[in-house]
Amino acid sequence: MSPSTTAPSALLARAPSTEPSRVARAWRQARHRPASVVGAVIVLLFVVAAIGAPWIAGADPMQTDWKLVRKAPTLAHPFGTDDLGRDTFARVVWGTRISMQAGVFSILLAIAVGVPLGLVAGFYRGVLDQTIMRLTDAWLAFPFLILAIGLVTIMGPSLTNATVAIGLGATPTYIRLTRGLVLATAAEDYVQGARALGAGDLRLMSRHVLPNIVSSLLVQATISIPIAIIAEAVLSFLGLGVQPPAPSWGTMLNTAQQFLETAPWMAWWPGLAIFSLALSFNLAGDGLRDLLDPRDY
Amino acid sequence: MFDFLVQRAAISVVTLFVISMVVFTGVRMIPGDPARVLAGTDADAAGIDAIREKYGLNDPIPIQYLRWVGLALRGDLGHSIRTRESMIHTVATKLPITIELAFLALVIAVGIAIPAGVLAAVRRNTLWDMLASGASLGGVSIPNFWLGIMLILFFSVQLGWLPASGFVPIWESPLDNLRRMVMPAFVLGTALAAVLMRQTRNSMIEVMSADYIRTAYSKGLASRAVVFRHAIRNSLIPVVTILGLQMGALLSGAVVTEQIFVVPGFGRLIVESVFTRDYPLVQGVVLITASSYVLINLLVDVSYSLLNPRIRIGGAARES
Repeated sequence: MSPSTTAPSALLARAPSTEPSRVARAWRQARHRPASVVGAVIVLLFVVAAIGAPWIAGADPMQTDWKLVRKAPTLAHPFGTDDLGRDTFARVVWGTRISMQAGVFSILLAIAVGVPLGLVAGFYRGVLDQTIMRLTDAWLAFPFLILAIGLVTIMGPSLTNATVAIGLGATPTYIRLTRGLVLATAAEDYVQGARALGAGDLRLMSRHVLPNIVSSLLVQATISIPIAIIAEAVLSFLGLGVQPPAPSWGTMLNTAQQFLETAPWMAWWPGLAIFSLALSFNLAGDGLRDLLDPRDY
Repeated sequence: MFDFLVQRAAISVVTLFVISMVVFTGVRMIPGDPARVLAGTDADAAGIDAIREKYGLNDPIPIQYLRWVGLALRGDLGHSIRTRESMIHTVATKLPITIELAFLALVIAVGIAIPAGVLAAVRRNTLWDMLASGASLGGVSIPNFWLGIMLILFFSVQLGWLPASGFVPIWESPLDNLRRMVMPAFVLGTALAAVLMRQTRNSMIEVMSADYIRTAYSKGLASRAVVFRHAIRNSLIPVVTILGLQMGALLSGAVVTEQIFVVPGFGRLIVESVFTRDYPLVQGVVLITASSYVLINLLVDVSYSLLNPRIRIGGAARES
């Protein structure tokens, strides 16, 4: 794109008639990034596994069987069985639910808390901004995991509490990001124009500022979700998240660590699941960033 | 310059104040009565009251807070309930182990990330770039505790080359110490390497498109000289900032890594204090962690402004 053609096409992009070409453009870009498409497809497969766990798993993830303790992978149990004779494949499939839940809901929480705070701080500046940012500084001083561990200690270990703890741990990132974006956007001519036309603060924020920072927030979400998924696994691994016998990948790895010499497959699959889910999210996120953010990296 | 230092320092003091309030309140929100914990299981009501009086738990909360801060400022963070050791003593024995681990991880991370990032940027859009970017994406996506378990499985269980866990002080046997530290340090280093590599690549690409690089080329310098003498040095400035911000991530990583490889460091202390409900220890450890993070970033900010006078105020380099 040469600079002379950008201005008119940017204006045209607002018109609804160009909608099909936007989809076409997205498709064209997607074809140039096969890795991102593969990532997105795998993320979708995990979503399907999470929703369809009861039908896909094929076995009860909680059903213990003393005759089948720590059996290597076979056709009947493709991922082998664990220390209580439970089917590892079924547990990995059900674990998808927990991971997705923790990953997505924690980031939704971080957005729900962080974006309004950042919006207000960046829009009004002054004392309010200073207060919010000093709190954010202090908030950021607690390393993510230490903060999550502290919060879980206060609230008690469970999936919901781990999700809340991870969400609050990710919140300051969103406050900072939103504030920075708002500072840049609020200075734009079109926002000033809308203000001159008499638009109120609420209208300015919701109709003129927010829509223009959504894509950056979306890109940040694709970066944070895999981090949150790994964080849930870590908390559960440490015994501070999902409690046994619920099939969480982190708790499965915790158990697997005791049987590394006799049943190494117990450690392969849950970890591979976390790795591939996080990797696919990151790949898909990279593609999304190229799509939404035309800056060249 | 002086104004900048004063402003940065003032912000850090405010941050530390907020942190101390948060930690103090947080620990008081933990369910359970500290006096009952301190008194032990077979204390009667009178005994618990005596303890409450002795530790000033009957005083108003603001008084308790001020007393705690006053003691903390003089270096007295209280005692562990479980071991009865003073906080300072406990931390002084645990922290060096984690610092060694973090240092080794840092060496590994920088050793991988900077050459790889520079190579990816200089040979942009080639196979090298794709390999480096792929490795970086993999490094961000792999859960470090799983990587640790897989390393144990391969190098300890299968090959029997390295001990799976434990710790030997470096002054007793440097070789045994390193044999036990190399896997944890590698695990801790990979995640950091992934982040650093990306940052190095991006800032190197930015620097390489700057006018002075074009000038260097046009005056006939060999590309090796341009890259090594002009580009790398300037592109590393933002990398140093990221390094400061990554200290928190390094500590979070140490918590998990020390847990897997049974390294008796600061990270393991945090988890242990939570599990044994040793609240004074939790309070002290979290306070030390957060405060050191603030101080490290103050140092990074200051050194950064010394290196690059254009960025004095506004913290433009801080990226979340």
